[in-house]
Amino acid sequence: MRTRMIAGTVAGCLAVLGLAAAPANAISPTTADLYVLHAVPATPVDVYVNGALTLDDFQPGALAGPLDLPAGTYSVAITASTATDASAPVIGPVDLVLAAGTSYTAVAHLTEAGAPTATLFTNDLAKTAPGQGRLTVRHVAAAPSVDVLAGGAPVVTALTNPNEAKLDLAAGTVSAAVAATGTTTPVIGPADVSIQDGVNTIVYAWGSLADSNLALAVQTIGGLQTAPHGVPAGEAGLAADPDAEPLVWGAGVLLLLMAAALGVTTVRRVRRDSSAR
Amino acid sequence: MTTAKATGVAAAALAAAVLVFGSGCSAATAPERPAPSSSSAAPTPSAAPRPAVPDIPIQGTTPGAQQPTVPPVRISVPDVGIDIPIDPVGVLDDGTMELPANTQVAGWYEFGPDPASATGATILAAHVDSLVYGLGPFSRLRELAAGAPLSVTTADGAVHDYTIASVAKVPKAEIPLDTVFDRSGPPTLVLITCGGQFNRDTGHYLDNILVTATPVAG
Repeated sequence: MRTRMIAGTVAGCLAVLGLAAAPANAISPTTADLYVLHAVPATPVDVYVNGALTLDDFQPGALAGPLDLPAGTYSVAITASTATDASAPVIGPVDLVLAAGTSYTAVAHLTEAGAPTATLFTNDLAKTAPGQGRLTVRHVAAAPSVDVLAGGAPVVTALTNPNEAKLDLAAGTVSAAVAATGTTTPVIGPADVSIQDGVNTIVYAWGSLADSNLALAVQTIGGLQTAPHGVPAGEAGLAADPDAEPLVWGAGVLLLLMAAALGVTTVRRVRRDSSAR
Repeated sequence: MTTAKATGVAAAALAAAVLVFGSGCSAATAPERPAPSSSSAAPTPSAAPRPAVPDIPIQGTTPGAQQPTVPPVRISVPDVGIDIPIDPVGVLDDGTMELPANTQVAGWYEFGPDPASATGATILAAHVDSLVYGLGPFSRLRELAAGAPLSVTTADGAVHDYTIASVAKVPKAEIPLDTVFDRSGPPTLVLITCGGQFNRDTGHYLDNILVTATPVAG
């Protein structure tokens, strides 16, 4: 009776829990997620995808997306915001090959030498350990090799444009700064960056060192969390159900008693039989 | 004879529970997103009809503060006389949920939703017993029935009322923790403690007691 009730409540419990689980990211076995980051200073642009105006008057520092796109190849051209079509791009056209089940950020930015360009980054959506988040750092600035400092100590060294580095950290707030490689004097920051459980926090160093407009841009992608591996919520056995062992022992005793009773009966029968003769 | 029969019925019911449980679990974890309307043909670079590009949401990228949480600070379950404070907790080095040592204090999983969150499960857990503090109030969770009221007070002073939807005893080896520690479904409250048989060799219970509760509308 009690067991049946528990079976019922397990089903009920899951009926409640089963309503859960909308995917945090739009990617699927047939589609990709695409974000677009504008990281060229002081230049609003238009973005054409496959010849169609997709982002109008897109401002520096803005992040568009995610677009849930069927896997395939997309032609992206970036023009001055005054352009009327994609015929005279300032960046591209570039072909972006998007694989299914993958998250990307296309970044319009400056090369180390200061020329406009575009780079397609793949966002790491691997699950994070319980209580951890991911920090991804991308160098898309017109600046030489940098180190990334967390709490004053370098956690990423010799990062160059257009590359990235990443690490998983315990959830919390990190005081992040960017310095020229081999130095600890910040050229950007320090700025507080929040590392959240199950979130990939992507920090872009962008702008131009020569023009003194280096800055940080932050993109976050969540839904990567892992639940704790268990909830060990007892240690003394004071609330335990009866152990299986005494039951087994009890059944054994019962069997012995039954056997004994049978034995006695048999003996009696034998005796009765013998006495009858 | 009756003992053996009862054991058989119990085993069958348990198997049924695991079956129901298993199917519920897979149903919960495998919701396929409907294929997008434009998934008709894979695009090729030379083909004239390229896939259409939908409108795109735009957001800022200025480094900002984390969305503030509203920690729960007290839980009351009047039917079984539970009225204890709540501390925020995280995870231990072995990846299991951290719990207050004192059985008279519940732990709130601070990385997950709180009672004010629009989605997901607020997780509250407490030790059922302790070698130091003895039997705790969460040992009475298994006496609860669906429909019983409970309330959680948050740090901002608000009182969140819930109705218990289910009480279940689940083997620890079977519990779908990624589903229980939900972030994106409708708002729920889940109370967790230990129960079932106790393994004296490992010092652990074999089951978790799971109580789910849904917010009272209004």
